Amino acid sequence: MPAAANLVEDLRRALGAEGVRAEPLDQRLFSKDAGVTRGEVVAVTFPRNAVQVSQVVLIAARHGYPIVARGAGTGLAGGAVPSQPAVLIVTTRMDDVVVDEANRTAWVGPGVINLDLSRRTASLGLHFAPDPSSQAACTLGGNVACNSGGPHCLAEGSTVNHVLAVEFVDARGQILTVGGTAPDPAGLDVRSVVVGSEGTLGVVTRILVKLTPNPPAVKTMLLAFSKVSDAAATVSEVIASGIVPAALEMMDQPMVRAVENFVHADLPVAAAAVLLAEVNGHVAAVDAEADVIISVGRRHGATEVRLAADERERLLMWKARKSAFGAIAQIAPDYYLHDTVIPRNRLVEALEEIYAIARRKDLLVMNVIHAGDGNLHPQLVFDGSVPGQLEIVKSAAVEIVEMSIRLGGTLSGEHGIGLEKRDLMSLVFSAVDLDAQARLREAFDQDHRFNPGTVLPAGSRCFDFGRSVAEGAWV
Amino acid sequence: MTVWQTKWAPTPRELAACVECGLCLPHCPTFRLTGDETASPRGRLNAMSAVAAGTLPLDSAFAEVMEFCLQCRACEAACPSLVRFGRVMEGARAEVAAAFPREGRLGRRVAGHWLESPRAVGVATFGAALAQRIGGRHWFPRRLRVGLTGLRRLPLRRRSIRGRDVGAGSDPVATVGLLAGCVMDPWFAAVHEETIGVLVSAGYRVVVPDDQTCCGALAAHDGAADDAARLAATNVQAFAGVDLVVANAAGCSAHLAGYGHVVEAGTELASRAIDATVLVARAIGAGRLPQLPSNGRRAAIQDPCHLRHAQRVVDEPRSILRAAGFEVVEIDPDGLCCGAAGTYSVVRPDTSFELGERKAAQVRAAAVDLVASANPGCEIQLRAHLGSGVRVAHPIEIYAEALHSARDHDLAGSG
Ligand SMILES: Cc1cc2nc3c(=O)[nH]c(=O)nc-3n(C[C@H](O)[C@H](O)[C@H](O)COP(=O)(O)OP(=O)(O)OC[C@H]3O[C@@H](n4cnc5c(N)ncnc54)[C@H](O)[C@@H]3O)c2cc1C
Ligand code: SF4
Ligand code: SF4
Repeated sequence: MPAAANLVEDLRRALGAEGVRAEPLDQRLFSKDAGVTRGEVVAVTFPRNAVQVSQVVLIAARHGYPIVARGAGTGLAGGAVPSQPAVLIVTTRMDDVVVDEANRTAWVGPGVINLDLSRRTASLGLHFAPDPSSQAACTLGGNVACNSGGPHCLAEGSTVNHVLAVEFVDARGQILTVGGTAPDPAGLDVRSVVVGSEGTLGVVTRILVKLTPNPPAVKTMLLAFSKVSDAAATVSEVIASGIVPAALEMMDQPMVRAVENFVHADLPVAAAAVLLAEVNGHVAAVDAEADVIISVGRRHGATEVRLAADERERLLMWKARKSAFGAIAQIAPDYYLHDTVIPRNRLVEALEEIYAIARRKDLLVMNVIHAGDGNLHPQLVFDGSVPGQLEIVKSAAVEIVEMSIRLGGTLSGEHGIGLEKRDLMSLVFSAVDLDAQARLREAFDQDHRFNPGTVLPAGSRCFDFGRSVAEGAWV
Repeated sequence: MTVWQTKWAPTPRELAACVECGLCLPHCPTFRLTGDETASPRGRLNAMSAVAAGTLPLDSAFAEVMEFCLQCRACEAACPSLVRFGRVMEGARAEVAAAFPREGRLGRRVAGHWLESPRAVGVATFGAALAQRIGGRHWFPRRLRVGLTGLRRLPLRRRSIRGRDVGAGSDPVATVGLLAGCVMDPWFAAVHEETIGVLVSAGYRVVVPDDQTCCGALAAHDGAADDAARLAATNVQAFAGVDLVVANAAGCSAHLAGYGHVVEAGTELASRAIDATVLVARAIGAGRLPQLPSNGRRAAIQDPCHLRHAQRVVDEPRSILRAAGFEVVEIDPDGLCCGAAGTYSVVRPDTSFELGERKAAQVRAAAVDLVASANPGCEIQLRAHLGSGVRVAHPIEIYAEALHSARDHDLAGSG
């Protein structure tokens, strides 16, 4: 669809020609993230600061278009994909970093890449703790919007635990700052509301992040098992032993094989499951904890235990883990990824059910799991060009979500709801729950100008004007 | 029904390999400069898919997106899905050339025809050598000036290593065929001489087949795929008799290693192709070349994209420098392109300049007086952006010089 000429003109006047793109090719290439849904983009803008963001918000409103924020587009839930024709705000050019070394904090632009921040602060012995597997590519704005986690969130917590303040532009174009340097801000904790709101409350323009000291010692190890249940039992016992590993990750055999093709790390491809464990802290504690993990693993039949000999081998192990999603296309051109959470002690059951669901639907499933906190990432691999495949995959995905909830878990661990998981929200939330979320959202964005149709299913606002809609009407 | 016109077009299978995860984005220099998806590897692949599907036209906007790419292949090294980006982009460039035969014709003519002619390169070399001597750089268009600034001092008379055959006498480890190259031969004669010397010291017989030609990398990158295939076919014949095919320019060795995509008979040659730094590093590792004691100096290493990203060769140039006695200083954890990128510096001087300045700043921050680069284009770019304070040289050349001075020292000591 050609963009309305005067919309583009108005945007250009505010941002300069460099800051606006609206040709069919731009519209197409920005119409999707790393998930499977495609949307429709009218114009793409690249503001450089909050004032320009505010201008874009107002111009879009004047022309009747909603706004969708986009960082690097590594989201897996269609969060940065417009559900109706929209103006995109791309944050990549807002990438300032101002470090306050004494207070171990930094004000960062939303377009700063997660790993770049940790690299820039490495010489100060500091890093940004949340480390999504996409950390080399994803932006802090995206991390804040999705409250992203990562392997190290087992011990460190997710993004919300590392954000002190957020500056954002609301639907009226106002620039607000919520939170502050205090870890527990006075008044309502709006900061924690904005973190995880997936761009539905406003566009984040600056973030005050906490920086974490690099641990004095780190040990990273791979443990291979000939049975998935042995690996799962190891996870349960490690956690039960009272240690909180910095990370505890699991990959099943199809996943390990795909990854090995890329990283050539001599991974144990014959194993049914591989655990990647990391402990950090003071030298003595690290040694003791590593010993515990290794002996628990051995007791549960670990066929191989490999301790990273140096930083290079350690990074290679992590590269293997963090390449997992991308490595899939070697097997089939598309994947559909879920992000459910189950209680840790039901891991074996959950995996058996996932394999059974995939078998029933004649699909290949590959698993990579934040085992320490029970966050599953089953990936159904398929060829989207085969008619009907996507539907089969989505139905399998629904079964996986239902199973996770049945086991006492939930819909999403860290990737967010976006468009792709929106209609499953009703599996975990009651009509009253959803209404509360919708009201909260409308406090900031009454007319749903930001990311309309994302996160909350249509009709969430079921008590509008005192009118109640029958439960299930919008399921 | 398809819009593609050539047999080089990206295949559906090649394009389907991309799962759009975005992990390649931060590794892409043009994405880093712009923050723009359309200047990213994923964007470029998506544009190809959309054109293949008929969703987008093969128009000038598409051509622009393809031509902005440096073909540095950093995305390829970062891609867990093993997308063969370099090959796919060469295919896309061939399509752009077919769709817009008039645009960029001069560049393709140069890459596809002139470079294979030692005479044509000789004439250009003579012109540049004259300009160096009488200071006529400003006669040249701006886009050529950076290159002229960064060139080594060129000879006025043409000489070539073609036809050489050295080291046959002493029961060689293997026979290597050295690629003379289109511009390496007249412009980097010293690198060739030292490469031959070091390889012979390592126990190889080195032959430089007379009937070889330009490897064709520049032609392939610029969309002159048919010319690239013709050049490759000539080299497949010329190098039929040797055990290994060696190039000391990363762009050439990478292209030789990908000959399988260029000509049918190319796979076999590709299996014998190897960059000179790899061969030398192996010889040092095997004790066939000496490890010299530390000289207390620091040298920075600049990774040519077509060594680091296209061939994943990272350790070898470093171990050569260490063997030459240097402490190796890293300048860039990502190995972002220096902006030389074959003919890119001429076609898109602005982007090239910006990347060149970034790289130069990294070298300056490392506070070294020597930087090693195993590719002629990078060398020229670095020298142009660094000025005269820092020496830029090929790692093998640096190692060879260290060997010479160690020998002189020994001779002096024993004499
Ligand atoms: C290979 C791979 C591995 C991954 N691993 C993990 C993982 O381990 N843990 C995890 O949590 N996630 C993971 N993800 C998902 C994704 O990377 C994260 O959600 C990430 O935070 C998204 O960042 P982004 O910059 O790409 O955001 P985008 O995809 O561009 O956007 C994501 C959402 O954030 C919103 N948004 C972006 N910027 C702003 C802003 N400035 N203001 C308001 N809203 C904004 C968008 O509207 C959208 O709803 C992975 C993805 C991939 C492809
Ligand atoms: S890393 Fe590979 S699969 Fe992922 S977007 Fe880039 S090219 Fe595609
Ligand atoms: S080859 Fe280089 S410039 Fe081109 S898309 Fe890949 S990383 Fe970017």
